[in-house]
Amino acid sequence: MTESLLLNLSLLILFLPLLGFTVVLFLGKKFPKLYLFEVGIITTAFLLSVFVLFAKLSYFTAQDIGSSFTWISMSAAPLLGNINIELGIKIDNITAIMLFVVNLISFLVHVFSIEYMHGDKRYTRYFSYLGIFTFSMLGIVLTDNLLMMYIFWELVGLSSYLLIGHWFEKKSAADAAKKAFIVNRIGDIGMFIGILILFTHYKTFSFDIIFQQLSLGNIPFNSEVWLTAAGILVFMGAVGKSAQFPLHVWLPDAMEGPTPVSALIHAATMVAAGVYLVTRIFVMLTADAMLVIAVIGAFTSLVAATIALTQNDIKKVLAYSTVSQLGYMIMSLGVGAYAFAFFHLVTHAFFKACLFLGSGSVIHAMHHEQDIRNMGGLRKKLPITYFTFLISTIAISGVPLTSGFLSKDGILAGTLAFGKLTGHWLIPIMGFTVAMLTAFYMFRLVILTFHSEPRDHHKFEHAHESPFVMAAPLVILAVLSIFIWYTPNPFAPDAGWFMKDWVKTPASVVPVETQFDFMNPSSSGNHSELHREIVHSPLYTEAMHWAHYPAMALSIFLAGMGILVAYLMYQWKKINADKLAEKIKVLYNFSLNKWFLDEVYDATAISGTTNFSKFLSWFDNTIIDGAVNGTAWLGRFFSKLSDMFDTYIVDGFVNFSAFFSGFIGLSFKRLQTGKVQTYIVFVVFAVIILLLFFKPF
Amino acid sequence: MLSIPIEYYLILSAFMFIVGVTGVLIRRNAIVVFMCIELMLNAANLSLVAFSSYHGNPVGQIFVFFVMTVAAAEATVGLAIIIAIFRNKLTVNVDEINIFKW
Amino acid sequence: MELANLYQSINLIIPEIVLSIALIVLVIADLIFHTNKKIIPFIAGTGILVTAIFVINQFNYIGFAFSTATHTARSFGMLAVDSFGVFFKLIVIVSSFIIVLLSLASDEIQKTTDRIGEYYALIYGMILGMFFMITATDLILIYLSLELLSLSSYVLAGFTKLRDRNSEASLKYLLYGAVSSGLMLFGISLVYGLTGSTNLYIINTLIQNPHINLFTLSFATILIFAGIGYKISSAPFHFWTPDVYEGAPITITAFLSVASKAAGFALLIRFVKTVFVSYETNEGFWSLIEVFDWQSILVVISILTMTLGNFSALWQNNLKRMLAYSSIAHAGYMLLGLVVLSNQGLIAILIYFMIYLLMNLGAFLVVMLIANKINSEEIDDYNGLGFTSPLLSVSLAIFLISLTGLPPTAGFIGKLYLFIALVDAKMIAVAIIALLNSVVSLYYYVRVLKHMYLVKATASTPSIIPSTSNAILLLVLVVPVLIFGVYFQPLVEFAKDCIVILGI
Repeated sequence: MTESLLLNLSLLILFLPLLGFTVVLFLGKKFPKLYLFEVGIITTAFLLSVFVLFAKLSYFTAQDIGSSFTWISMSAAPLLGNINIELGIKIDNITAIMLFVVNLISFLVHVFSIEYMHGDKRYTRYFSYLGIFTFSMLGIVLTDNLLMMYIFWELVGLSSYLLIGHWFEKKSAADAAKKAFIVNRIGDIGMFIGILILFTHYKTFSFDIIFQQLSLGNIPFNSEVWLTAAGILVFMGAVGKSAQFPLHVWLPDAMEGPTPVSALIHAATMVAAGVYLVTRIFVMLTADAMLVIAVIGAFTSLVAATIALTQNDIKKVLAYSTVSQLGYMIMSLGVGAYAFAFFHLVTHAFFKACLFLGSGSVIHAMHHEQDIRNMGGLRKKLPITYFTFLISTIAISGVPLTSGFLSKDGILAGTLAFGKLTGHWLIPIMGFTVAMLTAFYMFRLVILTFHSEPRDHHKFEHAHESPFVMAAPLVILAVLSIFIWYTPNPFAPDAGWFMKDWVKTPASVVPVETQFDFMNPSSSGNHSELHREIVHSPLYTEAMHWAHYPAMALSIFLAGMGILVAYLMYQWKKINADKLAEKIKVLYNFSLNKWFLDEVYDATAISGTTNFSKFLSWFDNTIIDGAVNGTAWLGRFFSKLSDMFDTYIVDGFVNFSAFFSGFIGLSFKRLQTGKVQTYIVFVVFAVIILLLFFKPF
Repeated sequence: MLSIPIEYYLILSAFMFIVGVTGVLIRRNAIVVFMCIELMLNAANLSLVAFSSYHGNPVGQIFVFFVMTVAAAEATVGLAIIIAIFRNKLTVNVDEINIFKW
Repeated sequence: MELANLYQSINLIIPEIVLSIALIVLVIADLIFHTNKKIIPFIAGTGILVTAIFVINQFNYIGFAFSTATHTARSFGMLAVDSFGVFFKLIVIVSSFIIVLLSLASDEIQKTTDRIGEYYALIYGMILGMFFMITATDLILIYLSLELLSLSSYVLAGFTKLRDRNSEASLKYLLYGAVSSGLMLFGISLVYGLTGSTNLYIINTLIQNPHINLFTLSFATILIFAGIGYKISSAPFHFWTPDVYEGAPITITAFLSVASKAAGFALLIRFVKTVFVSYETNEGFWSLIEVFDWQSILVVISILTMTLGNFSALWQNNLKRMLAYSSIAHAGYMLLGLVVLSNQGLIAILIYFMIYLLMNLGAFLVVMLIANKINSEEIDDYNGLGFTSPLLSVSLAIFLISLTGLPPTAGFIGKLYLFIALVDAKMIAVAIIALLNSVVSLYYYVRVLKHMYLVKATASTPSIIPSTSNAILLLVLVVPVLIFGVYFQPLVEFAKDCIVILGI
């Protein structure tokens, strides 16, 4: 086992999906069976990534492997001076785990899609899009620099656009694709500016070099404000891609795409890219930036959880639950619980993909019915889907013995410790509230869908369990939601190999005074090594220790409460949900209408532009029609003048230069008389003229 | 020893060269044009030989041998091409050979 | 001349010797297999590949061949072997090999089965001439190699004899070329008269003598430049180019536009650098001997060349003729790299040549494949081809965009490095003029795309699907154009390794 083998395999994993994309896209029309090629490619990539994962974790546990090459090297670029842009990949433990997660889910989604998308008009094209998506996502995972991160970031945006809009004949799907693309853009602008700040100062895109410079005290433009700004701006990219408030609005709409796509992109991988980005830049975040991140994350998770309470579309509920869980991860990074955030990213990827694929199975069975009010009693018809769905629901609710409990408990303990250390108690309060809400709405979903009596008997009668290729991924993902894969002790996530050996919180590299005290490595830590593991201050260790049991007890209790209420309301009907909704109508509507955020955006950003132009036209009209004739005349005069300027001067200039070029061309062309002696005359005269002009005296 | 000054050779050479260039420019018959080109080459040859004797080294004379060979080769190729064009067009008037222009 | 010296010299010209042997084999094979000449192209291709091996062997090898040994400190030879020469030899070799493949695909050439041996033999003559041109450091050899190249290409330009247009191209080329080389020879005789030597290095030391007659030297230099300028088709010595390119067989046109131009550039650069440069500054700028203002004359010539080329191309309706003007314009761009008289400019020229080779040969290949089918190169006959012949049209689009110099194609990189060199030498105004020229060129390149993609295909629009081997050849040219547009560091590194010009 050598490093170069590992590197080459990783590159192979990266480029295989691209090959699949190219081949299937260009030849798919001619050979409709080619989708099997794409599936085969992903299978290969998945197997390779399993190998890479084990090789990395067993042979190079504490060592990063990377390789890069010079892409552009200019010794004297005008205005910029020396430029040396390197591209490369880096494999650390996080990368290896992400490779596995992305490939696994991509593989399962490919398999699931074979049946789910069967008979689709653009079947092979769908598979080729899955290929380019996987390629871009793997690029984000493997890269060792911000430039490639940005390129693949945009590629992910593009492929997500293509996949959401797969059924572009449907207006809502086309609109959702556009919305996703544009909203993501807004975040990306911030990220781009952040990257430029870093590049302008450090003249490199490489994470390692930037962090090394930072740890030597070289901060952008010698100002902590710039450093904080760079951190927050790059984080803006994550706000867009990971659907954080206020840019989370695209994700629920993106459910217009095919359901397997929702599982792949909008649950497990693409939205995790934002979290992954923050883990990458984690060490350069200052205390202020971290606080911003924590608050945005906490708020997002709360907003999304409250919205999810009242949604009736099965995929919308899952979408908001995804937003909420992503908020959890971001919040966790913000409070410094780095390892738990990444842990939650992995566990969430599995059970959320399972939930989405399960919902796909339900929708498939119900002939594209998505409203949970028309479902019910599906437990008997879809036993496999039901059990896998249930296991994942238990996991996301944070019930012990599941993976979700482990990671959520860790995050909550982290927030509690953060509250104790910094006094920001609002963050743990939000976190625990969300824990309860999550348990409630997820069980509401399960009960309404699978328990109780069927409400639409016609559809119920025709429902049928999904075939093997759809059921198998569900089972695999559900099995991965059990605690045993991550730790032997279901109540101590720290004891597991995942947390103990693989994922370690890296030490911050920002100047000590700009970071929280507890994030700074204690003085005994080894400062010379770049990627030193954090040696937490006793303060933090103590706080975590203190938070451990209260957080666990509280989270179990709140999850239990949520589940109990869900059962009371929907299973045993002890509480009438409708009456309750009537009683707190204002709150209910607020949640049902998603905090009116879409309306707010419509009213401000979107119609703001239109209204502003309307206002201007009204203003114009009043002036022209109104009493101030002189102004009107002046206005007309100026508009005429500018019109004339446009027609005669600007257009004229354009036309003239075209005409002039053409004229010159014509006259030059005429020199070519076709008679060889004319040419020779030109030569002789040229020699004479050159001699006259360049004679040395 | 009485010798002809080099200027005489050079003036003759320049004159030949100018005659050659003028001939190339004003004659219409391709074969005559070609002869005028030979005249240009010979003008150069003359000055090479003159300079060779002036500098007292043989490089110029050796060069002339090569130039004569090249001129012969050029004449061969040239005449072959002129024949080819005569077969197609039944004329060797360079003014009429102008389907490519502009 | 010592025997050891001779032996060493022969070592240095092994590529040329191999080439000559291959030429002889070719001629003999032509006589032996006179009934079935299918094997001839393969012999020609193999010969080129074998030569390539020996050329690559010369890399990083430095030395003079055929030293006269009479001069004191340094003994200069007729030939200089250096990595600069190897670079241009490789350009010639690669383009020759592609031309052999092109000839196999060309109906025009394949129709002349009985004379195919002569065709390849003459191409070998051209290659041999170019090889000597690239390495020559003696005026005698320069003149002879130039003539060898010219004589072979005169014949090839009229090779197919099918229509009178072939022989017209041939005759015009011959008369024009003969006059140009006559002017050059007269210039050479004047230089010899002034200095008493034909060796470039010795001339370099001798013209630093303050008593030299500067007027005669300038006159001679301009005459020599007329000869070289005709080879690289720079204005105002470019007039033969459009007519010959249009009339010659497409394969020969492509060969002239790349290989012959490359050899001309190699000669020009070596001539300027070895004769007129006294030393190199630390920043890589070349310091001229104050006898002739190369910089100003080159600025004028290069601007004139690209402007004439681009503006005349605007009105062309024949694609071959348009590409001829475009190749004139490209010569103008490449001269910009020499204008700055610095190593950076030289690197830019070398990078440009590698890219130009790919995109220009590619464009000619597509034109040829289309002409094979529709027997026309008129732009109106390209209407709607984008819909019926996707592979050819997309490839042509990529080549034309690359010729314009737009990202993400390799052509952009070539221009980028030229402009960087210009800006570095503080010639911003020249850079702006070149940029405006690129804008003009966009018009006529895109015009072809307009005909292919914006005019709807009709029932009579032919569907042209190239054979597998031609498609592979096409991809071999297209893919690098795209890859080098994104990842060009290897080109730059290679070019940096190849700027060693022997001397000074």
